[in-house]
Amino acid sequence: MKKISHKMSLRATLSLTLLVLGLAFVLYSCYPGDALTAADTDIVATFFDKDANFSTKLSYAIRDSVSRVDKDGNPVFEVGPYDQQAINRIKTNLNSAGFSEEPNPAVADVIVITFANKSTWSSGGCYSWWYSWYYPYYGWCYPVYYTYETGTLVIAMLDAKATEQKDALWVATLNGILEDTSVGISTRINNAIDQAFSQSPYLAEGK
Amino acid sequence: MKIIKLKFWQMFTVFALVLLMFGTGYSQKEQWYGAFTYSVSFPSGDTKTFIDQISWRGIGLDYRYLIDRQYSIGLFFGWNVFHERTNKTTETDNGAVTGTSDRYINAFPIMANIHYYFGQRKSIRPYVGLNAGGYIMLQRFEIGIFAWQKDQWQWGVAPEAGVVIPVERDFGIMLNGKYNYALTGKSVFGTDINNSYWQVNVGFVWEP
Repeated sequence: MKKISHKMSLRATLSLTLLVLGLAFVLYSCYPGDALTAADTDIVATFFDKDANFSTKLSYAIRDSVSRVDKDGNPVFEVGPYDQQAINRIKTNLNSAGFSEEPNPAVADVIVITFANKSTWSSGGCYSWWYSWYYPYYGWCYPVYYTYETGTLVIAMLDAKATEQKDALWVATLNGILEDTSVGISTRINNAIDQAFSQSPYLAEGK
Repeated sequence: MKIIKLKFWQMFTVFALVLLMFGTGYSQKEQWYGAFTYSVSFPSGDTKTFIDQISWRGIGLDYRYLIDRQYSIGLFFGWNVFHERTNKTTETDNGAVTGTSDRYINAFPIMANIHYYFGQRKSIRPYVGLNAGGYIMLQRFEIGIFAWQKDQWQWGVAPEAGVVIPVERDFGIMLNGKYNYALTGKSVFGTDINNSYWQVNVGFVWEP
């Protein structure tokens, strides 16, 4: 009898310990990782035309302003506080890649244009206890809503000598959350533009 | 992020029930035994391509029935969490993407198994075995404000070798290694992959 009670108490103790460990495991381990800062949300994606021969692209003409469109795709005429900084940074990187600036677009090999837009992302919903994402659904789950402002800068390099409509030779998209200080945003824009060029080494083929 | 965790409560409930089952009446008979193990996992193959980081978060539950002196059949249920945060540049077919990304895999192996034990009962017993079944594989890729998730069942097998070391009459230690290999599966981006990882497990045994 004594043995059985010892056995049961050992099991009970172990089970309880393991349950607590299991609980800790559930709470802290499903999706571990520290919170991200606004800068951590920055993404730089670049795409290029696989048929393009960048070694023949030596001069560029750049539009000295950033174009904007609203959410319906209509042009918006406004100047952003970081527009000139972005244009200057793009020029610096193009020059470093071996391009030279050509004021006359009719003579340049490529034309570089820059777009920006700002959008408010709102999202929400709730996770069920099991697999699916239900929305809206107010059963066995907890609803959550969040919004944030994001900014996107698109740099497109077009073939100035193209005789027919064709895709851009190179496109860089820079995206991130705008909830940051002005110094923070300024630094992030420079870093992202630099990154776009450093991950596109083929641009310097004509160097 | 807290919200995502909520969907695991059902998984946790199952886990807790199995654990209670281990700790109470069902293991009274000598021919049954259970084990609870802590797991360290080393990703390999396609899993390593996605997450190149050792997983220090893992647990496993074994429930085995000795059909004779040498063989047992049983069930295994586990949980392994893989995570890596990286800001490396990913090359694509016609470009590249750079950003801080979080990659997660929550793997829940659920398998039936058979084991062969060397040596005599109540002595140190090395064993070999094969687990077969599959994994509930929760894969998630987050970059910037975007996220991709793929939750699916992946069939798989896991050969295993280990040793059971008795400590008291009804209590012992288990140490084993496993190679987990998913025979089917898709990545978060929808491409065909075979998740795989090596595992070292150490834990307690009841009724060894």
